[in-house]
Amino acid sequence: MTDQTISIVYDSMSRVVVVRSERPSEAKSPSVGVFMTMLEVGLNELTGMVQVTDAIKKYIPPGVIGLKVNCLTRQYNSTSVALVEALIALLVRNGRDENDIIIWDRTSNELDGAGFKLNLSSFGVRAFGTDVSRFGYSREIYSSGEVNSLVSRILTEEIKSLINLPVLKDHSIAGLSGGLKNLYGVINNPNKYHDSNCDPFAAQVLGIAPVKEKLKLTIIDAFRIQYNGGPGFDSRYLTEYGGIILSDDPVAADTVALQILEHLRAAHNLPSLEKSGRPVRYLATAERLKYGTADVKNIQLNVKTMDSQGALHEGSLF
Amino acid sequence: MKRRLFIKSVAGGTLATTLAGTEFLPRFLGGIENACAFSFTKQLSSKEARFYKRLESGGIECQICPRRCRVTDLERGYCGTRENRADKYYTLVYGFPCSANIDPIEKKPLFHFLPGARAFSLATAGCNVNCKFCQNWEISQMRPEQTDNFELSPQAAIDICIRERVPVIAYTYSEPVIFYEFMYDIAELGQKSGIKSVMITGGYIEPEPLKALLPQLDAVKVDLKAIREDYYRNIVGGQLKPVLDAIIQIKNSGAWLEIVYLVVPTLNDSEAEFRDLAHWIKNYIGIETPVHFSRFHPLYLLKNLPPTPQTTLERAYEICRAEGLEYVYLGNLPGHRAESTYCPKCGKILIERRGYQILQKNIERNLCRFCRKVVPGIF
Repeated sequence: MTDQTISIVYDSMSRVVVVRSERPSEAKSPSVGVFMTMLEVGLNELTGMVQVTDAIKKYIPPGVIGLKVNCLTRQYNSTSVALVEALIALLVRNGRDENDIIIWDRTSNELDGAGFKLNLSSFGVRAFGTDVSRFGYSREIYSSGEVNSLVSRILTEEIKSLINLPVLKDHSIAGLSGGLKNLYGVINNPNKYHDSNCDPFAAQVLGIAPVKEKLKLTIIDAFRIQYNGGPGFDSRYLTEYGGIILSDDPVAADTVALQILEHLRAAHNLPSLEKSGRPVRYLATAERLKYGTADVKNIQLNVKTMDSQGALHEGSLF
Repeated sequence: MKRRLFIKSVAGGTLATTLAGTEFLPRFLGGIENACAFSFTKQLSSKEARFYKRLESGGIECQICPRRCRVTDLERGYCGTRENRADKYYTLVYGFPCSANIDPIEKKPLFHFLPGARAFSLATAGCNVNCKFCQNWEISQMRPEQTDNFELSPQAAIDICIRERVPVIAYTYSEPVIFYEFMYDIAELGQKSGIKSVMITGGYIEPEPLKALLPQLDAVKVDLKAIREDYYRNIVGGQLKPVLDAIIQIKNSGAWLEIVYLVVPTLNDSEAEFRDLAHWIKNYIGIETPVHFSRFHPLYLLKNLPPTPQTTLERAYEICRAEGLEYVYLGNLPGHRAESTYCPKCGKILIERRGYQILQKNIERNLCRFCRKVVPGIF
C-alpha cells in the first residue's frame, strides 16, 4: 500500500486498542517516556506491525500533521501535554519533521492555559489556535447533514492529516465527550449543535469534507477521567484510569470510551447517561452514516496493561 | 493588536473613510460623519446576563428566548454570545458591536415610523436561530470572537446620535435579543436624551424579557418568517408559536409594530400561506398593521433557490389586500408601486418611495391630506 492510497476503511471489523499504565508513581503525572511506551504499544497493537515507523506510515501520509487537542478546562483536565510531547517525539523519532507538526485547538489562549508552549514561527513544532488572525475560519461553508459550518483554516489549509487527541470526560449535554465531540472544536459554530444531546450533529461533523478526508487517527487521553459534571472541570468526579485509547475508527474509539465512562459512573453509584437524560445516541447515528462502528460486537478490542516494572500484560477494560 | 479605524467627513456630507493599517471596508460606522475614531478589539465583555436561573442540578437555564438553553460551566448557549462561568451567566457582547451604520429607517423596513429618518444601526455577533436564508450570516452565525468588534458603551452610542443628529437607534442586522442587555441600556439612556429606539427582530423572545424591554422601545419590526410551524423547525431552527405570541405582546404594548415576511420560493410562498398570514394578522394584530413582503435573494444555505419572482410577491400583495389588510408593501423591488403608501380610503398616495428615498409625503399629523383618514404610525 502506498502512502497515497492510505485511507480509513470503516466497513470491516474496527480495531481499538486501550493501553493502561499501572505505574503508581506515574499515575498523577505520567512522564513523556511512559506515554511514549504506551503509544508505541498502542500503535503496534493497532496495526499489527512490529515497527512503530511502519505503524505511523500506515496512518499518517507525508505532509503537515495536525494534533487537535482539547483545552477547554485549561490546566485542569485538558489533553495531557506529556502525551502530546510523547506523540511528537515518536513521530520525529520515526522520520517525521518537527516543522511539519502543529498542535492546535480553538484558541491560543486555551492552549497556553493548558500548558502548551505557543509557537507561531515557521520552525519547530508549532502550536496555536484557530483564533490567530492569519488563520481563522474558512470562507466556504461546509455542510454535512444538518451541520453547516465554517471550518478552521488550520484544518483546511495548513495540515494534510489530523490526529484527534481528545480528553475522555462526561458532558452535560452530549453525555460523552470524546473524539467526536472534540471535533466541534474545528467548526466555528459548535453552539448550534448541542440540541437533542448533540445527535445527529456530533456524528455529522465526521462528514464535513476536510474532517472526513484528513482524520487518520484518534488517541483519547483517558489517563484521568472526569465521569460526571463535565465538560467543565469538577475535581469531585475525577478518577485515575491510566489509559489511552487508540483507533483509526473514531466511532469505535468513542464507543469504547463510552463503555469506560459508563463503568466509572456505575462504580461511583451514578445513574447511566441514558437515565441521566443524556443518552449517547450520536454514536449509533455515526454508524448509520457509515462513519465507523458503534456496535461493540463489531469492534475488536485489545487491552494492554503496563505494570510498574514496565512489562506488558493482557489487560482488562475495567 | 488593535487597529485604528478613522472615519472623516468631507465637504457636502459624503464620506471618505480611511482605514489606517487595515484593508477593511467600512462595515463599521458607515454613514457616520465627522471624525470618529474606533479601535478593533479582541476583548469581549464580562457583564452578567439578565434572565437566567441557576439549576439545582448545576448549570444555568437561560430565559431570554424560547430555546431555554441549559448551559453548564464553560459552555455557551445556542446564540454563542452567552457563557456560563461557574454558574454565573455572562453576555460576551455588551458594548462590543461588530456592525454600526447610519441607515434610512426605510431600510429596516419601517414605513410608518418617522419616514425619512436616519437610524444609527447596531449589531453584535450571534443569533438565537439559524435561518438558512440569512442575509447577515457572516455576523449572525458567528461567535463574537470571530467578528471584528469595537468598543462602544451605551453612552457613546447615544453621543454619536446626538452629534450626528440621528433621531433613532436601531438594533438590527443580527438578532438584538441576544444582545438584550446592551440594547436595553442604550434604549434606556436614549429615552432620557430623546433618541428613539427600534428593534428589528425575529421575535424569538420570552414574554418576561420582552415585557421588561418594551417600555424602552418605540417601534418593533418583526420578521415573521412563515406561518407554518414546520418552516420554523426546518428552515429557521426555531418555533412559530412563541413568535406569534411575541407579536401579539408587542402589539398590545403600544409600541409601533410592522411585520416583514420574506417570501422564499417553494418554501413559504403558497397562496394558502399568504391567506393564512392575512387571517392571522387580521384576527390578532389588526388590518392597520403594515406588512412587508420581501424578495428573497439566494444566500447562505439556500443558494440553490432562485430569487422570488415578482409575480409571487404581487400575488401575496393581492391576497392580503383582498383579505382587508390596509398597508401591504413589497420590498427589495425598487421602483415597484407597492413600495409606496396609499390611503385605504381615498386611494391617493400618502408616501411615495423609491428604494429608501421618500419622494413625496401627504400625511399631516397622522391624517391623509386628501380625505383626512387617520393613518396609523408615528409620523
